[in-house]
Amino acid sequence: MTTLIDRYVFTVLRRVPEQQRSDIERELRTSIEDAVDARVDGGQPREAAIEQTLLELGDPDRLADGYADRPRYLIGPVFYPAWQRIIILLLSTILPLVVTIVVVIRILDDASIGEVIGSAVSTTLTAGAHMVFWVTLTFAILERTGVARAELRGRSWSLDDLPRYEPGLQTPAQLGAALGWVVLVIAAIVLQQFAFTEEPVLDPANWSFWWPYLIGVLILEGVYAVWLYRRGTWTHTVTIVNAVLAAMFAIPVTWLAVNERFFNPEWIATLDWGATDPLAWLTGITVSIAVGGALYDIIDVAIRVERARRGLPTPVPGTGREYSTPLS
Amino acid sequence: MTMDATLSGHLQELRRGTVVVASLTVLRQPGYGYSLLETLSAAGFEVEANTLYPLLRRLETQGLLTSSWNTDEARPRKFYRTTEQGDAIAAALRDEWVRLDKAIGDLDHPSGNDSRSKQ
Repeated sequence: MTTLIDRYVFTVLRRVPEQQRSDIERELRTSIEDAVDARVDGGQPREAAIEQTLLELGDPDRLADGYADRPRYLIGPVFYPAWQRIIILLLSTILPLVVTIVVVIRILDDASIGEVIGSAVSTTLTAGAHMVFWVTLTFAILERTGVARAELRGRSWSLDDLPRYEPGLQTPAQLGAALGWVVLVIAAIVLQQFAFTEEPVLDPANWSFWWPYLIGVLILEGVYAVWLYRRGTWTHTVTIVNAVLAAMFAIPVTWLAVNERFFNPEWIATLDWGATDPLAWLTGITVSIAVGGALYDIIDVAIRVERARRGLPTPVPGTGREYSTPLS
Repeated sequence: MTMDATLSGHLQELRRGTVVVASLTVLRQPGYGYSLLETLSAAGFEVEANTLYPLLRRLETQGLLTSSWNTDEARPRKFYRTTEQGDAIAAALRDEWVRLDKAIGDLDHPSGNDSRSKQ
C-alpha cells in the first residue's frame, strides 16, 4: 500500500522533467522526513505529523511547477496586450466578414431562412473558436519558448510606433490595411472565375477588357495609398486624385450593371428566388454599393482634406478628444 | 479585512527577494533544505517550504549555490553551499538593502536641510 508521503511525492514527480526526478525525489523525501521527525520530537503522533507536514507543503502541482520553473499562467503580461489586440481585431472585424460572406453564399445557394441562420450561427461558433484557439496557442508557445517582445516586433518599442492622429498622416498599419484590401478584392475578382460557385459570378465575356481594367484601377488604388502614405499631407490634389480613382471604378461598374453585363447570365440562371427577379435585385444592390461607396469615399476624403487644410479640429477615434492640425 | 488583505499583499511584495539574500548568506556554511528552513524561520523570515525548496534548485542552476549529497549519515541529505559568485551577489544585494533602508529612513525623517522641506 502506498503511504501518504508516497502519494504526495509521486504526484509532484508526475509534473517534473524526467531527468530531475530521482534527485528531486530523494531530496523531497528527506525534507519531508526531517520535518516529520521535528514534529514527532515535539511530541506529535507520527500520523498527525505527516499530515501536518504535507498540508504545509501544500498543493503538489504547485510545488512541481516551482521545481520545473514553469509559469502558472498561459499568457503573461508581456504578451497579453498583443494577444488581446489580435483577438479583438479578429472577433470584431474578420469574424463578421467571414460570417457575412458565408451568409451571402448560402443565400445565393438558394438556402431557406432557417438554413441561412443555422450556417451563420455555426460559422460564428466554429470560426470564432478557431481564431481564439490558434491565436492563444501561438502566444502560449511564444510565452514558453522565451521569445522576448522585442524579438517578436523585430526591434524594441520606439517613439515611431506611436500612431499619428493627424488626418493626413498614416501609420504603416493603415497603409498595410489599404494594400490588403486591394489584394483581397483583386483575388476575389480572379478567384470567382474558378472557385466559390459552379458558374463564375461575373460575366466572363468582360475578361476581354473590363475585368482587367478594374484590376488595373485597383492596382492604381494601391499606388495611391503608397503615394498618400509617403506624401504625408492632404491637399486638394488628394481630393481630386481620390475622386478620379473612385469614379474610374464606380462608373464602369454601374454602367456594366445597368446594361446587364456585370453578372454572368449562366450564373443568374442557376438562382431561383421564387417570385423575385434575381438580376433586377442584384443590379440594384451593385449599383447602390458602387455609387454609394464612391460618393461616401469622395465626400469623406474631401471633408478630411478641408479639415486638415483649415486646421479644423478632427476627432481622434476612440478617445473622445479632438485634434487640430496647425495651419501650415 | 480589506485593509489586512492589502497590507499582506504589500508585505509579500516587499519580502519577495529577501529569502534569496538570506539563503545565500546563511549557506556560506553548508546546509540542507530543512535545516535552512529552520534557520530562516528562527531568524524571523516567513518562508514556506514549497517556496524555499524550488528556490534552492533555481539558485543552483544559476551557479550561485553548489550542492553535494552527504551519505555519511543514516539519512542521505543534499547539502547546498554558496559559491564565490553567489557570495558576491549576496554582498551586492545586502549593500542594496542597506542603501534602501537608509533611503527610506531619510524619506521618513527628512533632515530639515534638503530642498523639499522649504516648500
